[in-house]
Amino acid sequence: MSPNTQDEKAREQLIDLAAEFYDQFAGGEIPEMKLPTRTKSNIVFDEDSNVWVYGDRTSTRSANSVRGARKLLKAVYTIDFLAKQLDEDRSSTLRELYYLSESWDNEEAQFSDQDESNQLVEDLEIVSKVTREDFHMRPEESGATLMGPLELREQTRRGEREIHCQKDVGEGGYQIPNNPDTIEFLDHDIDFVLCVETGGMRDRLVENGFDEEYNVLVVHLKGQPARATRRITKRLHDELDLPVVVFTDGDPWSYRIYGSVAYGSIKSAHLSEYLATPEAEYVGIRPQDIVDYDLPTDPLADSDINALESELTDPRFQSEFWKEQIELQLDIGKKAEQQALASRGLDFVTDTYLPERLSDMGVI
Amino acid sequence: MTSFQSTLGEDSGIADELAQNQREISIAEFFEKNKHMLGFDSGARGLVTAVKEAVDNALDATEEAGLAPDIYVEIAEAGDYYKLIVEDNGPGITKAQLPKVFGKLLYGSRFHAREQSRGQQGIGISAAVLYSQLTSGKAAKITSRTQGSADAQYFELIIDTDTNEPEIKEARETSWDRSHGTRIELEMEANMRARQQLHDYIKHTAVVNPHARLELREPGLEEPLKFERATDQLPAETEEIRPHPHGVELGTLIKMLQATESYSVSGFLQEEFTRVGKKTADKVVDSFRDRHFGREMGWSAPDAHEDADLRAAIVDAVSGKGADATDAFADTVVDVLQNRERTTHHELRDIVDNAAAAAAEDFDKTFGETVKENAVEAAWAVLAGYDEESETDRLTADVYALVDGATSTRKDDATVTALAERLARKFGTADDYRHRTTFKQLRTYVDDAANATVEYDDATVGDTARENVTEAFWSVMQTVPDEVPKVNDVADDRDISSQLLEAMRETDILAPPTNCLSPISAELVEAGLRKEFDADFYAAATRDAEVHGGDPFIVEAGIAYGGDLKAEGSVDLLRFANRVPLVYQRGACATTDVVKRIGWRNYGLDQPGGSGMPNGPAVIMIHVASTNVPFTSESKDALANIPAIEDEIELAIREAARELKSYLNKRRSMEKRRQKQDVLGKILPQMADKVSEVTGRPRPDIDGALARIMNNVSVERELEDGTVTLIVENYSDRTEQPDITDIVSVEPQNVSDGATVVDLDGEWFVKWSPSVPSGETVKLTYDVSDDADFDINVDGVENEKLTVQA
Repeated sequence: MSPNTQDEKAREQLIDLAAEFYDQFAGGEIPEMKLPTRTKSNIVFDEDSNVWVYGDRTSTRSANSVRGARKLLKAVYTIDFLAKQLDEDRSSTLRELYYLSESWDNEEAQFSDQDESNQLVEDLEIVSKVTREDFHMRPEESGATLMGPLELREQTRRGEREIHCQKDVGEGGYQIPNNPDTIEFLDHDIDFVLCVETGGMRDRLVENGFDEEYNVLVVHLKGQPARATRRITKRLHDELDLPVVVFTDGDPWSYRIYGSVAYGSIKSAHLSEYLATPEAEYVGIRPQDIVDYDLPTDPLADSDINALESELTDPRFQSEFWKEQIELQLDIGKKAEQQALASRGLDFVTDTYLPERLSDMGVI
Repeated sequence: MTSFQSTLGEDSGIADELAQNQREISIAEFFEKNKHMLGFDSGARGLVTAVKEAVDNALDATEEAGLAPDIYVEIAEAGDYYKLIVEDNGPGITKAQLPKVFGKLLYGSRFHAREQSRGQQGIGISAAVLYSQLTSGKAAKITSRTQGSADAQYFELIIDTDTNEPEIKEARETSWDRSHGTRIELEMEANMRARQQLHDYIKHTAVVNPHARLELREPGLEEPLKFERATDQLPAETEEIRPHPHGVELGTLIKMLQATESYSVSGFLQEEFTRVGKKTADKVVDSFRDRHFGREMGWSAPDAHEDADLRAAIVDAVSGKGADATDAFADTVVDVLQNRERTTHHELRDIVDNAAAAAAEDFDKTFGETVKENAVEAAWAVLAGYDEESETDRLTADVYALVDGATSTRKDDATVTALAERLARKFGTADDYRHRTTFKQLRTYVDDAANATVEYDDATVGDTARENVTEAFWSVMQTVPDEVPKVNDVADDRDISSQLLEAMRETDILAPPTNCLSPISAELVEAGLRKEFDADFYAAATRDAEVHGGDPFIVEAGIAYGGDLKAEGSVDLLRFANRVPLVYQRGACATTDVVKRIGWRNYGLDQPGGSGMPNGPAVIMIHVASTNVPFTSESKDALANIPAIEDEIELAIREAARELKSYLNKRRSMEKRRQKQDVLGKILPQMADKVSEVTGRPRPDIDGALARIMNNVSVERELEDGTVTLIVENYSDRTEQPDITDIVSVEPQNVSDGATVVDLDGEWFVKWSPSVPSGETVKLTYDVSDDADFDINVDGVENEKLTVQA
């Protein structure tokens, strides 16, 4: 499908949505929009794709209330904007959309904060079944990078670029574009993909030459990974048939980072099939590591404990492994950062920790 | 002092010397020095109090005579003084009584009456006279004309403070334009600083006396303040009641005993108290008897194998009546006793009397008193036999049964037995061989026995067990038939009177009647508020009568909200007692305490911190009516904190406040609906515009959606080929009955659904009142020729809920 027909399809889907409102009005009905309920309790495991998707429960945005009516008005204005954007083959960022709403003639349609506009775009994705990227909506640059023996071709607005993600890039690595579907993989010498949460650890691995030594593609997640990062990870796994492992801090928030790479996030469960890599495995830091390696730790804060307890009921963490680890962590009451491994020397992570763990996991 | 000390002993006449300075203080003198106690502590307040006392008197007098009060109050400057004039249309006061009513403190008709009235002590108006003469030196000028008399009486009088007697300065007949009534004119040192309180007093009096007409003139008013009648209905006449047995104190009871003409206690109770008839009096007297004489303990008769002793004892005691008669007599007594569960001494006496009478008849013998007496004592000695030396004990078995039944099953048998033995011994060795005890004495027996058991048997006998045992005994013991002391004897002995008082208090007696009270009624409370406050909402509640200390009382509450009432600051609290506004000492009043402790946020009023006076545009009114309103002081400004009254005040306020809450809730939801309508009325058309822009279709019709969203009733007109159709759609959740009037410039034909058509100067009013169930649509039609003009009007549905497109 050429980009243009894809744009045309996205545009049609949007206008169909507006037409639905139109028909509701004309039929004397109260305009409304049905959406899957986007909470932890409404995500279910999809046996076919091995990822977590939204369940059957829906919530309704109805013009029956002032709040709902405002939301729908904003939705219609946003549909109008997106349709025009597709028509003109332009693109914009989520943040731009937020500011752009300030220019709309109707004050009621303006967004009060960016969360609202972000959420609305997600709503439209869900009901129109078109991804944000196909609306030509980009997030702010997440700045996530790749480093490793991979050669690819990127379709940029200024023409095609062929890049080797080790040889053609500086120490910072190759920056993942907002729509990774514009990338074509040309050649590679990768044994496995290692996703790393923090910049400090990513730099440590590159400095120690870990990517060269083990033929690793190091993906820097930069905290909670952007969609593009997750998408390219999935493509690396699916298209190049590479094992994917995730290396994060040892705290509840980092487990969620792993969760969104492997199982999809609650907010974008409608895109799980497109973004999640269910085969991704968790390297560490595991609560067991804190005990085994006697790592320097911080005590769990109340919010950490709440987060851990909430994960115990999160359908994504219902495996034996996670239950055991989370309960252990609650038991010891401690958390550790990736950098805590430095307490055993700067090379400990590349010489000992990762090789041991990865060979245990059968990756190397 | 030292000089007295030094002469002490040398001169025994010191006491005499002191005695020369000791003399009676007249009540008038006392109040002369203690003006503040009556509310005359300052010139400003003195004036308000004087007005209050005069107006209260006027209202009482007119109502009592069954007249609708018409009261005129005037305050005028008179040189350095203020002149106060109060006139009423009451029945007037007779020439003989008038000087005393106004010129003697503590003279009045109210003090001794248990009946709701404004005045109570007979101090008020004479205190005003006293205050006036003290400050201005002028006499009070009083005019009074009794109904039907040709002329009015005019008096000028002052109070002789030494004797508390009126001193008449001038008395003559005069003519007066009122056909009956009383007018008092007082001059006093005063000022108008309390103008607000004065106005409040008059205004509030008007609120609670909607049957009165009031007029106030004072120098600060350009026009007189007039309060017209809101009703012609006079308050129900009250009846005086006698005191209630639960409400008297010992001193009062003794006084009543001394004063009564009754001879017996029963007669006294029925004669002097309310709610006491023959039955109640009997109950009280029995209870009195128990307290005065105690009850008698009875014992079971011996078993068959023991009865030989009983029989033998009786036979032995009877001498000279012949064997047959004696045997028959003894058999009868034994028989009867054995058929009874237990028998007390006085019952035994009756049984012996009866058996003797029967035997006497059958055998023609006379059983004298001595014989019977001997028989009773002989039988009692066996029946209640207890002698430690001869080891006779007929009591323990009975006592054991009672104790065992009254204590918990977990008590071990040794303890029960020990306790029973000791208790039996108490009875067996008691001074009163008839085994009479009062309840207190019985408890002492039980306590002593229990204490000994605790001490010697290392057992526990708790308070509950003791109480239960005492109760078990008291309930099987019998009230004795002895005559209770006569009224004279009771009156003479403080202890006996106190026994009677206790008996009165302990007996259940109906609450006092309430015809001695005259509540305003919820309806008139609301009418009063409506008359004086321009608000959006009014609610009122009247509680049922309750009793405090023998005096019945009724609490009423009213609330006005919104409208012209001031929105900022705390709400206004109007306090009333027996229809008199309480103006001063708000903070010391029980009503204020109650209002403050209610959580007003629950009722939709703002209350900073969740307690204290609520804020907002509201007036809360509380009226307490009682035969004896408990004030904190003589000046009658604040209600005392009596829990029983506070509880009723709270319930009354809450009752009215609940209505306020539902009103405010409704108002809020209406407001929300209006806001929603405003916002949605703007957003939805914009949304429709945008949708049509995006889809490239013409703008959709959104009226149906709009009406549905608002839970509205929508009325829409369609005109086709000369047929007008009014489509009434009800989207609300209940049946609506709109009144729809279509005003047509051409005569309508074939009008549907039983509409009425009225022709008014070339305009036709077509009116329907359809009933449209929730979610349904009704179509109303008629035909018109060519181009008619229409003007539709819909009533009967709240505006917020109505969408008219016609």
